[in-house]
Amino acid sequence: MKYVVKGLGMILFLLIASLVNAQEEDPLRVAIAHLQKGNLDSAKMTIDQLTADPLAAKDGNVWYYRGFIYKSIYNKWEKKDKASHSRMEALKAFKQSLALDTTKATIAENKKNIKYLTTTLYNDACTSLDSIDYKQGIETFEQFKEYYTLIDTSKENLKQYNIKFLHALGSVYSKIFEDAPDVKKEIKEANKNKKGELLKLAVDAYSKIIILDTNNTSAYYNIGALYYEHGANLIRQLDYGTDIPTLNDAQDNTYSFYRQSLPYLEHAYRIDPSRKETLYGLYSIYFSLNEFQKSNDFKRLLDLMERK
Amino acid sequence: MKKKIFLFLSIVFLSLAPGRPEETSAKIKAIYIYNFTKYIEWPESYKQGNFVIGIIGNNNELVNELNKMATVKTVGNQHLEIKNISPTSDIGCHIIYILSDNSTQLTEVIENNKNKSTLIITDKAGLAAKGAGINFVVQENKQKIELNKSNIERYKLKVASSLVELAIQVK
Repeated sequence: MKYVVKGLGMILFLLIASLVNAQEEDPLRVAIAHLQKGNLDSAKMTIDQLTADPLAAKDGNVWYYRGFIYKSIYNKWEKKDKASHSRMEALKAFKQSLALDTTKATIAENKKNIKYLTTTLYNDACTSLDSIDYKQGIETFEQFKEYYTLIDTSKENLKQYNIKFLHALGSVYSKIFEDAPDVKKEIKEANKNKKGELLKLAVDAYSKIIILDTNNTSAYYNIGALYYEHGANLIRQLDYGTDIPTLNDAQDNTYSFYRQSLPYLEHAYRIDPSRKETLYGLYSIYFSLNEFQKSNDFKRLLDLMERK
Repeated sequence: MKKKIFLFLSIVFLSLAPGRPEETSAKIKAIYIYNFTKYIEWPESYKQGNFVIGIIGNNNELVNELNKMATVKTVGNQHLEIKNISPTSDIGCHIIYILSDNSTQLTEVIENNKNKSTLIITDKAGLAAKGAGINFVVQENKQKIELNKSNIERYKLKVASSLVELAIQVK
């Protein structure tokens, strides 16, 4: 009897030992252990190997931890990198986890992490919107849109983000186009002969807003103002020694841009007749078209508005 | 446990502000005026000292534009000088530009300059027929000029035929 008990005890010990050993060797547990100790490189290496295994790759939990490990890497080392690779890997992993694991708790966790990372994407897209980094901003915003729909299915919310971003993007193009004082000298120099291209990019950005929101006064106004400014610049840039036939040609070109501007400003006025910028724009455009009666009418409206 | 709050940055964007339209109009007129100095010849006695452009009336944008022009352009060897003058001014101007609000002073200006070599420019419909040498007019929304050759030559000025051809001729 004594030997039987001893034998059973030995079997039980071996069983537990093999279970513990198995647990220790579970790559997911190993990866989590590395993550908990802050050994992110080791955690990354282990989780990468695990997700390469076709069987493990079907486990939503594995992808969740992969997302978490990459998110930690992003937070630790790549937070200032607007093109962070780890952030995108984390998002891909959380997205995959979301697709595989439909338990309520995991869905909530995945969405929380996606929300955090998409917020950083959106903020990076916004802060990239200057004359130097705006191309990165466009790329980052596209990434934001792809993942934002996973956490918020409201088309209206995404539309509002789109409109805000397009406005900001249009402003960047407009700033470079009009050589705004805060645009760096080298950017101005590089875009010196690209005014037409910049005008088109800015108009495209505002036109996309109009497609999303047909009553967006600001977008209509900005397109009108851009065409107006482009036309006026053709005159401003002329040398005083320009001969009369060339001056007449410049006037023809200028007035064709003024004509393009007018319907946009008029539309902006129809949507919101009390907007001062639009009134000033219409006063300016009619003055420039030498239609002084109409110009004076808008000047009077503007003066009335300013007295209020 | 402290709850993390994710904040979306708000984007600040500014609307484009069109420049003052009066400045563009002033630039067109300044270019025209500089062309007049090339196509019209003043007598020898007027080719010394500064080339004086007198302005009758108030238009800050135009005066600023002409002053800018004066810093970068000359008429032959003469420096350009821009002055606000009265219709009865004794200053020997090469050009007098009567702004539209002061058009009624044309007769006075003609009387005051009848023995001088002054190109009189106006800015109101019909004034080329009433004594002005050149009158700014708007045609098809564009800035054009009317030219009365005999009114120019009356002041012992020679006008190039190429300028006459580019203008709307008034007799």
